[in-house]
Amino acid sequence: MNNERFPAVLTAIVLLSAALSGCGKGADQQPAAADSAVPATAVSGAQGAAPGAAFPGMEADLKRTLAEESDFYVFKAPGDFAKDTASLTWQDGSDLPEFADPNAQKGGTLNSWIPDFPRTFRTIGPEANDSFRNYLLDDVEPAFIKPHPGVPGRFYPELAQSWAVDRATKTVYFRLNPAAKWSDGVPLTTDDVVFSWYFYRSRALNEPWYNDFYHKTYSRITVYDAHLFSITLAELKPDIEDRAGNVTLYAKHFFGDFGPHWEDRHNWKIQPTLGPYTIRPEDIKKQVSVTLTRITDWWAKDNRFMRGRFNPDRVKLVVIRDPDKAFESFIRGDIDIFPVNSPHFWYDKLPDSDPLVAGGYIAKTKFFNSIPPPDYGLYLNEAMPGLDDLNVRLGIQYATNLDLVCRQYFRGDDVRQQTRSDGYGWHVNTSISARPFDPVKAREYFAKAGYATQGPDGILVNGAGRRLSFTITGANQREKDILSILKEEALKAGLEYTIEILDETTGWQKMQEKHHEIALAALSRSVEMYPRYWEQYAGENAYDVPYLKDGSPNPARKTKPNTNNLTSTAIYELDGLIHSYDHADSMEQIKTLASRIEQIIYDDADWVNGWKAPFYRVAYWRWVKWPAEFNAMKSLDYEQYWLMSVDPEAKKATLDAKAAGQTFPRQILVFDQYKDD
Amino acid sequence: MTISPQTRRQFQRFRSIKRGYGSFLILLVLAVVCLLAELLVSNRALLVRSGGRLYFPSYGAIHTGREFGLGYDYEVRYRDLQERFAGRRTGDWVLMPLVPYDPNENCYDGQDFKPRPPDVANRHYLGTDEINRDILARLVYGLRNSFIFAAGFVALTYLIGIAVGCAMGFFGGAFDLGAQRLIEIWSLLPFLLAVIIVRADLPPSVGFGIWVLLLIVVIFSWTGMTYYMRSATYREKARDYVAAAQVLGAGSGRVIFRHILPNILSILVTFLPFSVAAGITSLTSLDYLGFGLPPPTPSWGELLQQGTSNLDAPWIVASAFGALSIILILITFVGEAIREAFDPKKFTFYR
Repeated sequence: MNNERFPAVLTAIVLLSAALSGCGKGADQQPAAADSAVPATAVSGAQGAAPGAAFPGMEADLKRTLAEESDFYVFKAPGDFAKDTASLTWQDGSDLPEFADPNAQKGGTLNSWIPDFPRTFRTIGPEANDSFRNYLLDDVEPAFIKPHPGVPGRFYPELAQSWAVDRATKTVYFRLNPAAKWSDGVPLTTDDVVFSWYFYRSRALNEPWYNDFYHKTYSRITVYDAHLFSITLAELKPDIEDRAGNVTLYAKHFFGDFGPHWEDRHNWKIQPTLGPYTIRPEDIKKQVSVTLTRITDWWAKDNRFMRGRFNPDRVKLVVIRDPDKAFESFIRGDIDIFPVNSPHFWYDKLPDSDPLVAGGYIAKTKFFNSIPPPDYGLYLNEAMPGLDDLNVRLGIQYATNLDLVCRQYFRGDDVRQQTRSDGYGWHVNTSISARPFDPVKAREYFAKAGYATQGPDGILVNGAGRRLSFTITGANQREKDILSILKEEALKAGLEYTIEILDETTGWQKMQEKHHEIALAALSRSVEMYPRYWEQYAGENAYDVPYLKDGSPNPARKTKPNTNNLTSTAIYELDGLIHSYDHADSMEQIKTLASRIEQIIYDDADWVNGWKAPFYRVAYWRWVKWPAEFNAMKSLDYEQYWLMSVDPEAKKATLDAKAAGQTFPRQILVFDQYKDD
Repeated sequence: MTISPQTRRQFQRFRSIKRGYGSFLILLVLAVVCLLAELLVSNRALLVRSGGRLYFPSYGAIHTGREFGLGYDYEVRYRDLQERFAGRRTGDWVLMPLVPYDPNENCYDGQDFKPRPPDVANRHYLGTDEINRDILARLVYGLRNSFIFAAGFVALTYLIGIAVGCAMGFFGGAFDLGAQRLIEIWSLLPFLLAVIIVRADLPPSVGFGIWVLLLIVVIFSWTGMTYYMRSATYREKARDYVAAAQVLGAGSGRVIFRHILPNILSILVTFLPFSVAAGITSLTSLDYLGFGLPPPTPSWGELLQQGTSNLDAPWIVASAFGALSIILILITFVGEAIREAFDPKKFTFYR
């Protein structure tokens, strides 16, 4: 190179590299898409050392917390327990029916699949909220007591041997099962109970929702000895047992290194469990498969509500990213059970006439359950121009042909949700129902809103020349067909829908920031005694300062991001009702208020009722056995309660018979004993 | 514009290569079909005679049902109108295009949404897709979108590539070195991955139409032509006519675009068909993965994706795959023929 030019060139290269290295995003943490109705409210009163102070280590921090919050963590003498529970009635679930088949055969390997390798083996903390967590926590980790899936309102014991409720003091007393021990042999004691509450409430956990919930919901944990304790709620609720008892624990002896950034240290550690399945390190093949192994001397294996469940010795979960590919694996016999909920699979890919079904090798089962469905529907964002007009929203209600989607896309199997709260076991409001598709009526409402003339492209236009056009945002590729159908049908009413399908994380983020006009979304709902309204309909979840002093809308209000109020609903009267609802303490009060709340929401017309499937459908090879009633009434899917078992002899016999060309009787079963009418 | 005798000879040679020239003609016919798609494949009638008047609904404002005595305000269903008129015998008639379906319309009214095989009686020549839309209609309109995208892709990448490449070759020195390093780094980015990431992380307010997509794709593929333009410009710059032009007082811009560029046009022409193929392939790949044009825009990638998740309805994947293969083969033939025609050596012997 030319000697004169060398310094200039060198300078240029250096400056260039400096400029390029300056561009780059810092690692930003995106919250995982929540799949239950949980608001990400700000941390209020979360405990922890002052920001900036070094963390003194778990034991020291725990000790400090117990000292500082001695009105929350109360320690009494064992003798006090008898005194405090003198007049209470004890429950132990002995009057409740078993929901599994106690004679189910243990053994065998269940071959299943997961759509993605988990990003962590933690069950809490960043990125732990994924579908793999079902295998580590939701479906398998015991709580003190859990809601009985067959008897609404009653609970059955898991970690607790017995429990007693004292409504007057808002306290539930527990006797821990002395046989309970962690999978590494360490016995369960109230030390773990205390630690778990400390853990959930600690700012070092890096989980604002848990911090908030475990501060707001509980007012005291009282420990009497190694197995006797009580939990006191901050407010009396009809589901006091659920709030106090449906809590899972974390082992104190495993979290000695707990502190800030604990999640990095614990990402791939298998924590000890009180449940039936654990993961051995040799069974983890990153990005390929994870295998669960049954703990054969599990302490709860003869418990009345645990026997007959968790039957396979090994559960092999192979990563298959594409459901169609997973289906091909299932057809080959490499996977034992496959969910066939969509009409595409049930009718087209695995019809009744398929040789494997007709020959009895694969069984098809349709099970009607009774739970609140995810609230699918179109959420109209009232904060957006155009959608703030009630007549436009009513027009949209009648211009969206979800009836056709249910009838022809779901082949009549799915039906429309009639209210915001179908499936809780009681009719929340019988005078409202989903509005049918009616383009004529839709045009009337649009005309009332000023969209009276039809433009040259068939879309209505108002006086100012604005076209009646809105963007529907979806966060799931599978929804593109449904949205395309709705778009075609809306043209009949002179309404234009523009479809925007984003990927799951970006789409959910857009909806949480309330930047959508219309969102096609659904929040899954847990089995509870009564629905929740605050998260999705309270004015304070729509705007920072929704109202002026007199209750009228505040013109200077700004939309509030990161809440589940996707419709930006802020109705003063509704807020008052929701407030009363959240503080109601009897079911009658709750039912009355719920009915009025539903009516107001219906009249506001900002949710277009979507579809629900009052059943789930499963296909499985004939070596998978189920109880006589197939599954529990309040089961969300076939896997949740682990009632199935695998018969290795039947597997061998079936495969031999199939090779020899022998057939079995066809099995297409329908279980409608729990069907909601 | 005068065509030099050399260029005229090159075009003659191109015409003499039967395979390439034939493919070129077929592609031309397809492009015309796409241009006139509304007249060949559409649910709007070509001609309607009603009440003594003639209507031409193919282009322009819609006609509502009420205009023809049907009781609704949305666009009239011309196929139903045709049946009605046939029944009434008043001398009114409707002339429908060859394939009387729109790419977005859900056919088989009242029946479930699922793929149905080719049905010549109903004029669904290639069958229908997952939500009862005619596949041939989606292929034709999808081809139009592909051609538009490819045209935009080629125009933009070549514009940027030529400008940057020629500048690099002409000015040389530090600018050339710096730009070369930049281009090397930029071209190392895996194209599809980068496009997907940008597309997925775009703030949704930007919108997702075809032009935004085109912009993103061009940003990650403009570096392709720069190398060839650079070396060609270096070569031409050393020739006498450039010096002569500069002596006469021509500025750099004029020298590049008026004198050098016409002489290196053959390189561009040789690469053109392959760039078109690359554009079509990129759009198809993005649409297949779901990161391309928004639904329900007809596109071949989306049809391929439907095809692979509905292998029990083989007509979908067969149509999409067949169409894509044919188009890419035709383009490749044209490209080979051009390359042969523009080859400086008249006779080439492969030993």
